[in-house]
Amino acid sequence: MLLRASGQRENRDFNLNAVNEADSDSGVEHSDHLRALTEAAVGSRWEELTSIRAAAAAAMGEQAMVDALTVAAGFNGITRVADATGIPRDPTTQESTVSMRSETGIDDFDYAAKTARYEGRAAAGG
Amino acid sequence: MYDDTRYPISAAVLERHGEAWRMIASPGPFWSGAERVQMVAEARAAMHCDLCRRRKEALSPFAVQGSHDTVSDLPAALIDMIHRLRTDPARYTRSVFASVIAAGIPRERYIEAVSVVNASVIVDTMHASLGLPLPELPMPEPGLPTGQPTPDVVEEGAWVPITRVSDRNVSDTGLPGAPNIARSMGSVPAAVELFFTAFRGHYALRDIPLAVSQPQAEFIASRVSALNECFY
Repeated sequence: MLLRASGQRENRDFNLNAVNEADSDSGVEHSDHLRALTEAAVGSRWEELTSIRAAAAAAMGEQAMVDALTVAAGFNGITRVADATGIPRDPTTQESTVSMRSETGIDDFDYAAKTARYEGRAAAGG
Repeated sequence: MYDDTRYPISAAVLERHGEAWRMIASPGPFWSGAERVQMVAEARAAMHCDLCRRRKEALSPFAVQGSHDTVSDLPAALIDMIHRLRTDPARYTRSVFASVIAAGIPRERYIEAVSVVNASVIVDTMHASLGLPLPELPMPEPGLPTGQPTPDVVEEGAWVPITRVSDRNVSDTGLPGAPNIARSMGSVPAAVELFFTAFRGHYALRDIPLAVSQPQAEFIASRVSALNECFY
């Protein structure tokens, strides 16, 4: 959601669907490397990260590569705070992102939806 | 911490991670320093826990029963919560929180544990993603939990009470001055302080002081949120 706000401030229109679609162009510079770094870091694929870091550093520079991982590490923590406290969205975000959440699938992360999806499967023997 | 790396890590991150490590080792409002360090050890153990691995592979993590590979004598419900939060945040549901409360652990103690574990997730993710060995666990400071004054919190639809705020103005980031994520652990102000000590060098809502642009930072943040199925 902040990606959209960031684009608005810079008068750019980023493709938000690209966050979840690797084949789509987000419009964000070096997003292929950002995606690879982020997915490997959050997925704890430490051995793969060796080559991913090298490729990203060659394309973006070493400082940007390190700082991309810095952002990923921070959000790997803060998303868990949200997940563990069940906080609602801020009202303005809730009101202004209805269609975007639907288009990008973010509504699937609703607490009740996750409970039904994951605990429901357990009840059904999943 | 970070002594053996050639990578140009932000000075703010270096300083704040060291401070967060010291804070974890100190007694908190509801847990001793030794217990808080045990939480970090347990979060690390979760990454090699066979039950967590089998749950991660299952369609539902709630369909797989068993015993965790533990390294502490923390309460069993708390160990389960820590392992789930560390290894499978996307499928962490309210029932995990409820099971901790049902085990007789007050929500303030739950919140403090959430802060400790997630501060350590940041520090450990930063190290591991750069190919560095994880820092040694800090030596716990002696002493009993400190307690705390009654916090000013309010029920606003979260699983726990959150910090009361009066200023609802919205900035051009689209967020209020005190977004809910900053209020979420308000029942334990020391938990807020610890977590954001670890987090603050990693991001800013505007003019991010790192060598990635704001849109690049938001792209990464969005991708992490999607991977961890973060509703917020």
